[in-house]
Amino acid sequence: MLHEARHGDVRHEGLAPGPMKGEARRRAAESIRANLLGLLLVAPALAIALALFAYPLLFSIASAVTVEGTLSVANFTKAFEFYDRDILFTFVIIGVSTALIGLVSVAIGGYLVLGENRTAIAVLGWLYRWPLFVPFIVAAQCMRTFLAKNGLMNNSFVALGLVDIDATQSLLDWRGIIITFVWKQTPFVALMVAGAMAALDRATIEAARNLGASRLRILVEIVVPQIRPTLVVGLILSFVTMLSVLSVPLMVSGGTPTMLTVDMAYRINAFGDYGVANALGLISYLMTGAVAWIYLRETMREKGRK
Amino acid sequence: MDRRVFLASFCAAAAMAFAPPAIAQQRVTINVMTAGDQNMVDYVTDYLGPAFEKQNPGIRVRAVGTGPGDAGSQKIWERIDAQRSANAATWDVDVAVVHQRMAGQMVKEGVLARYRNDVKTGALVTRDTARNALGANVDGYVMPMFHSQTAIAYNPALVSDPPKTFDELVAWTKANPKKFGYNGIKGGMSGVAFVFGWIYAHSPNPQQLMEGPYDPKVKEGWGPALAKLKEFNQNVVITPGNAGTLDMLNRGEIAMGPVWVDMFYTWQADGKLPPTMRLQLISPGLPGQPMYYVIPQKAANMEAAKKFVEFATSPAIQAEGIVKRFNWYPGIDAQHVQAHLDRAVWEKLFNDISPQDLAAKGKPMPIGEYFKEIQEAYERQVAN
Repeated sequence: MLHEARHGDVRHEGLAPGPMKGEARRRAAESIRANLLGLLLVAPALAIALALFAYPLLFSIASAVTVEGTLSVANFTKAFEFYDRDILFTFVIIGVSTALIGLVSVAIGGYLVLGENRTAIAVLGWLYRWPLFVPFIVAAQCMRTFLAKNGLMNNSFVALGLVDIDATQSLLDWRGIIITFVWKQTPFVALMVAGAMAALDRATIEAARNLGASRLRILVEIVVPQIRPTLVVGLILSFVTMLSVLSVPLMVSGGTPTMLTVDMAYRINAFGDYGVANALGLISYLMTGAVAWIYLRETMREKGRK
Repeated sequence: MDRRVFLASFCAAAAMAFAPPAIAQQRVTINVMTAGDQNMVDYVTDYLGPAFEKQNPGIRVRAVGTGPGDAGSQKIWERIDAQRSANAATWDVDVAVVHQRMAGQMVKEGVLARYRNDVKTGALVTRDTARNALGANVDGYVMPMFHSQTAIAYNPALVSDPPKTFDELVAWTKANPKKFGYNGIKGGMSGVAFVFGWIYAHSPNPQQLMEGPYDPKVKEGWGPALAKLKEFNQNVVITPGNAGTLDMLNRGEIAMGPVWVDMFYTWQADGKLPPTMRLQLISPGLPGQPMYYVIPQKAANMEAAKKFVEFATSPAIQAEGIVKRFNWYPGIDAQHVQAHLDRAVWEKLFNDISPQDLAAKGKPMPIGEYFKEIQEAYERQVAN
């Protein structure tokens, strides 16, 4: 709606006053030209979206639902027979990671807005973004040596006398995956959340503070509800990103169950089996689809309320 | 530049480009396509290519890597197949380095030249992988570039008397839970090779798995072996990848694990693994695999290609390049290579695993069909 109104304005400004008779025709021609121009401007992006997203998507759906040229659910049967636990595992790991990312980024954003120690705020504000610039594969490689049984973390604990050397254990399993995801994705969400929090009208916060509310209560009852849409968008983007990461589960945890990306890579590399790999891919699409749908429904309801 | 001079040189260049091969032989470029990990591409570009060019000033070597694993071999095949389908008079792949599975397929499809008798080094090849590639008869069509072998690496500080058989290994893991680690089947070939070795050890007829014939009923007999492997897995650590096993050995987190012998020695040479670590090839054996030099049927520069393979499989190059620099086992018979190596290098390679051990316990990978079926059976019955 907004776009149309803006186009209209531009057109009016650009129109020179002419004879009334040709006005309607000219306006129609102008409008077609504007539409064409708009289409032309959109065309490259649209072509790229179609070629790089829509076509591969349709192609992978077609590959998932056919076996040797005929329609079949065999790929899905096999995917569930072999990887049902991995599907659940993936969903739980990503779900838990997303929840933790939400908690930590709200905590970081909250401290940046409500904290009272200026130095601590400055240090945190400078520090928390760093993982944003580290690629997943590098993060995974670091975690491999950091979280291992005799890795940097445990060795430091032992050196500090916090734990006994025989009591150390490796975190290179599902816990390692979650730790890596949370470490890597939190800054992204925290950046969005902190920005939204900083843009809030501070009057509500000050009012609550004047009435004696604790900082935690202000965060939970006043700040978070106002930045919720931003938080949810950040979390959904993180969910989708993590679902597509291969390096982290591959490098951090070798065991089973594992994440769907590892299974997809394995089906292709070991068997050239694109059918089952695409079936697994489609299952991940459905997961993101479900999350996106929840989000859309949520925003629609919010809009309806307004 | 004067325009006339420019035109003249342009015409000369054009004439050279369209000149018949007889004249062009003065200076040819051969295309060497290599499937496999980066170290194999490095081997051709950094070592083999320059050494060959030095000896043959008229020939330039252009090396192309097509990526690791069977997928890399697949790309080479696709390139050749496209030119064959287009009925091209010559193909632009002169020498290819491929895996066993693809070599068998290429021989079956008739896209390879039978060149081994035309090169002098052909007679130095003795291992049966030069004739049999995962059940396919490739006799005469391939020259092994090297052999790589899996073995059990162990830390002598933690294991004084390493197991010599699979049964001893099982007993050892029961006594020392979580001290043996391997990388399952999704994290790289050293783990896959260990699983193949396990199936060989627990099969009534392992020879059939390695040489064929293929019988779809055979897989039904793997149940007990896989159940035992599942139980074995309770006492071991699943490591993240080939490198993951070596990392954990290095940090002392595990005391034993299957590794590729060449990776093991390279890591030791790079200081990423203590020099005290040792290798043991347990009975009845673990698989290894060669990579093959092949020459396509319609290679554009057939003579230069043969010259290149002859050079690459000569005892001196096999000693210096394959054994000394890259820690692989030679593709030709080791006895021809020994004379070109100093004692220390020879002893390092054959210290833990003697040539006799290698001959008796160095197994081939299973043939194509069983190769896939064992992996799937593992997923179904062990990992699930």
